[in-house]
Amino acid sequence: MRDKPGAGRQDLKALLAKEAGKLPQPDRRAFLAKGLTLAGGAMLGSATSAAAAAGSNLPPGVPPWTRSVGRGVVTVPYGMPSRYEQEIVRRTVSWLTASAISSISFTPLHRLKGIITPNGLVFERYHGGVPEIDPAEHRLIVHGLVERPLIFTMDDLMRFPSVSVIRFIECPANGGMEWRGAQMEALQFTHGMLSCCEWTGVPLATLLQEVGVGAEAKWLLAEGADGSAMSRSIPLDKALDDSIVVYAQNGEMLRPEQGYPLRLLNPGWEGNTSVKWLRRLELGDAAWYHREETSKYTDLMADGRARKFSWVQETNSVITFPCPENGLKQTGKYEIEGLAWSGRGRIKRVDVSVDGGVSWRRARVKGLVLPKALTRFGMEWDWDGGPALLQSRAVDETGYVQPTLAQLREARGVESIYHKNAIHTWRVAAGGEVTNVQID
Amino acid sequence: MYRSTRVFVGLWAMLAVSACAPESAPPPVSSSSASGAGAVAVAAATETAPSPTRIGSTARNIGALDDIEELSVAIEEGRKRSGYFGYGDPATPEQIAGWDIDVRPDGKGLPPGSGTAEQGEALYEEKCSACHGVFGEGEGRWPKLVGDEPLTGERPEKTVGNYWPYASTLWDYVHRAMPFYEPQSLSDDEVYAIVAYVLYMNELIEYEFVLNQDNLAAIEMPNRDGFFVDPRPDVVNVLCMEECKNPDDIRITWDSTELGVTPVEHFKDDEDDSVSTPAVAAVTLDDGAGQKVYEQACKTCHGPGLAGAPVVGDADAWAARRDQGLEVLVRHAIEGFQGEAGYMPAKGGQMQLGDEEVAAAVSYMLHNSGAAQ
Repeated sequence: MRDKPGAGRQDLKALLAKEAGKLPQPDRRAFLAKGLTLAGGAMLGSATSAAAAAGSNLPPGVPPWTRSVGRGVVTVPYGMPSRYEQEIVRRTVSWLTASAISSISFTPLHRLKGIITPNGLVFERYHGGVPEIDPAEHRLIVHGLVERPLIFTMDDLMRFPSVSVIRFIECPANGGMEWRGAQMEALQFTHGMLSCCEWTGVPLATLLQEVGVGAEAKWLLAEGADGSAMSRSIPLDKALDDSIVVYAQNGEMLRPEQGYPLRLLNPGWEGNTSVKWLRRLELGDAAWYHREETSKYTDLMADGRARKFSWVQETNSVITFPCPENGLKQTGKYEIEGLAWSGRGRIKRVDVSVDGGVSWRRARVKGLVLPKALTRFGMEWDWDGGPALLQSRAVDETGYVQPTLAQLREARGVESIYHKNAIHTWRVAAGGEVTNVQID
Repeated sequence: MYRSTRVFVGLWAMLAVSACAPESAPPPVSSSSASGAGAVAVAAATETAPSPTRIGSTARNIGALDDIEELSVAIEEGRKRSGYFGYGDPATPEQIAGWDIDVRPDGKGLPPGSGTAEQGEALYEEKCSACHGVFGEGEGRWPKLVGDEPLTGERPEKTVGNYWPYASTLWDYVHRAMPFYEPQSLSDDEVYAIVAYVLYMNELIEYEFVLNQDNLAAIEMPNRDGFFVDPRPDVVNVLCMEECKNPDDIRITWDSTELGVTPVEHFKDDEDDSVSTPAVAAVTLDDGAGQKVYEQACKTCHGPGLAGAPVVGDADAWAARRDQGLEVLVRHAIEGFQGEAGYMPAKGGQMQLGDEEVAAAVSYMLHNSGAAQ
């Protein structure tokens, strides 16, 4: 561009138009939306259609990948998903927040299997962007009402006896756009502020014992090293119960998006309390009432008063197949699948309705059933090609039954933003298309 | 050794008290409420019969003990003295002082210093108004700071004036996280002044009031008593299995596709992608448009050169940026960019702007910096 002599203002505009305009549509999207590589989106489509058109890769044809050899070891030292999986990415809804620096993205639940969220797909929530922290220069200070304030290096922390647990993390605003009505057209956006990983670290109880908790201490302030210095007050009994100072997820060190090199994990509690990029823990005798526990993360009721310290993510569930992204194509047998979770413990049972809640059938809970973890369920269903209204209803081991949205609205109004754990409805149309709806 | 053992015993005693009798304010365990126990009892009566456990005690123990024997190891370790492992170094007062920035409602943590709304006004306009609005009204989706509308209305906007319970929270937050693009850059006096100005705009203090370490905690915020501890579980659903409602009564009250406000092009091939991708290709604004956008959205930083922003008219600075490619520059302006010199927020934080408006503003700035070629 700089080689073009004499380009004036009009030429500049024309150039702008030309730069974007000469790109095919999917590429323009990438160019403008997320800065993806320009080639990416087009490859998938062209490769697929080429194969389909030729037909020679299908039996009895023998495809080229069978008649050749592929790439060797460490061509890709850190492995990535197949290029045919490029659509399986985190996404955001740009109008939700003022800036991507303080915003949220959503996990593509509609394409995940089992209960573990791959590290690159764990939803993001930043209040001041992702800091790039050199672990050699990261420190955790534990001080306040303690016997001996200590400063730990990452090596110190990783030397403590470690624990590994599988736990979900959910933003309390998950589903919060739909208190008034259905407006998100995809499972990724209705429930995607939710992920589940195996987390490894040192129990906070161990660290607190190491510093010696003062007799007056009742609360603990957790603070991040990021540009928002995120801070939350945590009651000491949670800290001593099952909180973990985490440095690894799913077998590798934390991703920068998840707090590298160190984060707090408060299992079952709203994700915001699991402070990322953790740099400081202060023990005190009262709560701090910081911005993220007053202005935000409080639940406004219809009477104008607001709930504070609303930490637990109550029992919730959603059907992940079918869903708006995964419609039905042929009649016949399907397995309805979904995820259930509770911040109070294990999922005990899940029921599924295909008629909008008139009748329910007990679903099968599949695989690992862990406390405060995603739990997968499935139920066989013979689709006759007609319309249906699919719902799931989870029960946890405390006996709590996932409520209806009408019940939540009755108790809380429609302005509370957080902690909407209502039974969710997908409408299956006669053609198999699935849409997000709300019903009476 | 003796002392730490005593402290630890005391700690467990304290926890036992707080779990059984959460009358201390605020109760740290929200779920151990009477309504919780009632909810379980009702649910149990309706169908299958989970044994009526107290939710409070269950919530405390589930997950801690059942599946992770490792945590029982942690608890065992908890019976050992502090300093058992001997890892880490003593944190010095100097180290702690550098990071210990938190402020509480009782004023604990406030540093010496002072400021008035009078002193804060210019600071606010320079450092805060681009996002929060000159009158605290909030630009675009950036937080509104000023307002006293009731919280019971339709979509009430929560502000410092009508929602925040403590002035200390404002001081703490401005000091730790503001300005958004230059956190922890304000002096203590500047924070006092800006906080005073925000309180003044909310008609909570006088213009000349000298806000300081000693009087900030005494300011009574209007919504100080507007919060109560989470009472959940607050709803009780029943495990009905058959004839739970009349099929004829079912009505679809909302269909998400009618609004069309979320991106769907990744799974609906035939959708136009206008939601997320207004195209730079549509740069057809007239000559004045770029200037208008610049004046409204860009000038705050690109006029004086705040936050490392290249100043309009600085030919070298702009030529360097232009040379990375016009499309890259425009993309950075639209999506935000962290450079060596500073930080460009996405659309300058003015997310109401269309992509083509941003592109026009970039064009305007390049042209007026002699770098348009």
